Amino acid sequence: MLKFVVRRVLWTIPVVLLVILMTFLMMRQIGGNPFRTSERAVPPAILENLEKKYHVDEPWWKQYLYYTQGVFTLDFGPSLTLRNQSVNDVIKERFPVSLKLGMFAMLWALVLGIPLGIIAALKPNTILDYITMSFVNIGYALPNFLVSTLLIYFLAVRLKDQTGLPTNGWAGPSTWILPAIALGHAPMTIFARITRGSMLETLQQDYIRTAKAKGLRWRRVVGVHVLRNSLIPVVTAAAPLLGFLITGSFIVESIFGIPGIGRYYVISVAGRDYAIVLGITVLLAVIIIFANMVVDILYGYLDPRIRDART
Amino acid sequence: MRKGTRWSLWAGALVAIAIIVVGSAAGGNQQRAQNLRVIDLGVASTLDPGLATDTTSSNAIQALFEPLVRFGPPPQLKAVPAAAESWTVKGNAVTIKLRKDLRWTNGQQVTAADYVYSWLRAISPELASEYAYQFFGIRGAEAYNSCKENCAALRSQVAVKALNKTTFQVTLISPQAWFIQQLNHDSFIPVHRATVEKFGEKWTEPENIVTFGPFKLASWTKDAEMVLVKNPKWRGASSVKLNKVTITGLSDAATAENAYSAGNADINEYDLTAALVDKWKKSKEYKTVGTIGTYYYGFNVKNIPDVNQRRAMAFAIDRKAIIKFVTKGGQFPARAFTPNKAPGAKEINKNSIMPQVAKLAQAKAFMAKAKNPKLNVNLYFNTSTGHAAIATAVQAYWKELGITTTLKNMEFGQYLDFLGPPPNSDVDVYRLGWIYDYPDAYNGFELWTCDSGNNNTGWCNKKYDAIVDKAARTPDESARFKLYQQAETMLTGANGALPIMPIYWYVYHSLVKPYVQGWALDLIGRTDYTKISLA
Repeated sequence: MLKFVVRRVLWTIPVVLLVILMTFLMMRQIGGNPFRTSERAVPPAILENLEKKYHVDEPWWKQYLYYTQGVFTLDFGPSLTLRNQSVNDVIKERFPVSLKLGMFAMLWALVLGIPLGIIAALKPNTILDYITMSFVNIGYALPNFLVSTLLIYFLAVRLKDQTGLPTNGWAGPSTWILPAIALGHAPMTIFARITRGSMLETLQQDYIRTAKAKGLRWRRVVGVHVLRNSLIPVVTAAAPLLGFLITGSFIVESIFGIPGIGRYYVISVAGRDYAIVLGITVLLAVIIIFANMVVDILYGYLDPRIRDART
Repeated sequence: MRKGTRWSLWAGALVAIAIIVVGSAAGGNQQRAQNLRVIDLGVASTLDPGLATDTTSSNAIQALFEPLVRFGPPPQLKAVPAAAESWTVKGNAVTIKLRKDLRWTNGQQVTAADYVYSWLRAISPELASEYAYQFFGIRGAEAYNSCKENCAALRSQVAVKALNKTTFQVTLISPQAWFIQQLNHDSFIPVHRATVEKFGEKWTEPENIVTFGPFKLASWTKDAEMVLVKNPKWRGASSVKLNKVTITGLSDAATAENAYSAGNADINEYDLTAALVDKWKKSKEYKTVGTIGTYYYGFNVKNIPDVNQRRAMAFAIDRKAIIKFVTKGGQFPARAFTPNKAPGAKEINKNSIMPQVAKLAQAKAFMAKAKNPKLNVNLYFNTSTGHAAIATAVQAYWKELGITTTLKNMEFGQYLDFLGPPPNSDVDVYRLGWIYDYPDAYNGFELWTCDSGNNNTGWCNKKYDAIVDKAARTPDESARFKLYQQAETMLTGANGALPIMPIYWYVYHSLVKPYVQGWALDLIGRTDYTKISLA
């Protein structure tokens, strides 16, 4: 197990270097100028000063070297568009917000999705199954921005006095509810469907029939034997989903006005803030690699067959 | 349950409800807290006066600090003393006298030395300020800003000197009639030297910043929210009614409107989408304010060299219809490049003939006169549903002239690269807008000079350059306006060259609750919070 973890951690380094290189080249390819943000042209002398200050006037491979050197000392450099902030500041301020939002969304997805899947699987092809799955499928079809705007309009404006929910912002528990629901609804539908499918399959297995025949209480059979084996696909799906939740929160953050990293990432691409784009890309690459590694470890714990195969 | 009991329960419930309703109604007449909540397109990206480039930053800076002058009432918009008590202009020399009661939030007096330090800082190549060019009218400023060596010597030659504690003198390279009005700009606001030197780039953090204006910075969550509180030590504090201003930055027009509708904001500065305009346009809460800015299409005069074709294309468009049905924003159809809100606009635009409605017969006549007209035209604009809608309307109008227009849109950063100058040869017509830096028509005319970095048309006329240059050196207003008229006539008059085709003059839109009193937007879209109170 330790060998496995160490090997994975070492692999992270070349992956991150490759990610930086690709992002670097892509940002250069799209052209544009970080120092010209409006129709007003910047006088050449001033442009020169700016480019010198941020080393943008040097050849690209030199900039790449400066940059990777910085990354390994965890110094991502100054932001090109936010004059008084460094990339580290930006990440420090914004990342915890996105992380929290992602966690709440994941919580909502799990807390609602898995039980819905269980209910549907335990009573397949009944009216309960149809209702739950219709709800889930409709939810799957609705895009993030539509769900966000509908939630705001109906729960925070029309029913404002009944719910007391705010329309935007990120300050205190009442502001966490709607964005978590909006961001978490797609993963929720995925978890529900996976749980249902996986449980249906497990329920057919011989050992379940044996457990029932042995006289075990149905609740124990489901809770201990069925669930534990059915949740493996859910765990496999959860890791990339967590990555998606943290990185793909852009739309929800934009609509609710949440000062997170997703929204800022897209703004920085449009604004050509190379430093921020690279910094956040590296951060997200590391997160996804880490999340996949955790899933693999968890997988080994949940499924003894994998554990044995590895050792 | 016995019948009597049920009735008495109902009666009791009704009485309870009545008490609650009356009680809350009575409670509703409480005095409203003087805390203003504003929603905007974002929150200030910087509070450093030397570095601010956008309106939201400028808005906050002008509340935390004080500009030297403010603008008086339209149409002249003459400079009115603010931090400056008075000034004298003699030829190229401008002497500014500061008020004696300006105080930093740490109690120290704001002095002329602060101004000299701050202006030199804003001009310095190290700060690399995008707005350093605002100072280039001052002798020695441009040389210092672009210095590669000998910078210390060039810095000492910049013609800004403190004469005593509250007076400083500036020597310009030539008389510039708008210089005093230009002093309203953020770049000319001083910073507290000791704070900047101690904290470096972090000097604007709420725990470090030192300011001297009507409000203080209470908190700043970057990109999301900024809270300003009243500065009780400000010289005019007794007249400031607001205790707190909370500015929330959003990126979605629908959310902004929802927040305003739900009562979570008192003012919504986030422009409504065309779909939402229909909902609000009849309401008194929907405010439209003119500004000094022009939305225009520019021609690549190398690709469309015949002025008759350009005139035809300008005359075929129905500006009024575009505003009424496409933009729906109550903008002003532009008959000239200089916006109607610029001082002297009436005289400047006297000979300009851009039509408000389509003049198809005249347009066709011009088209017939054109030699080798270009009948396949590429119209470029930066990606946005608004620009696309206008371009589609224009495409239909030009079809009447036999011109087939291909609409091409690009992401904004790449678009600016593509336009140059000089523009990519594929560009025949392009869309841009210009918001004036200060209220003087010169700011617009200098765009079309041969060397201007903002002239993407390729049009170059030495006579035009000479008139504009002469106007820059003419301090007398009526003489200057006559020169401006000549320049404008060369652009949009009957025989004008039309390197650009103005479409409309910009307006700002806001939603303002009826209990907000004293609200107004200045020409650059900023609010003076010292004049606002909540009823």
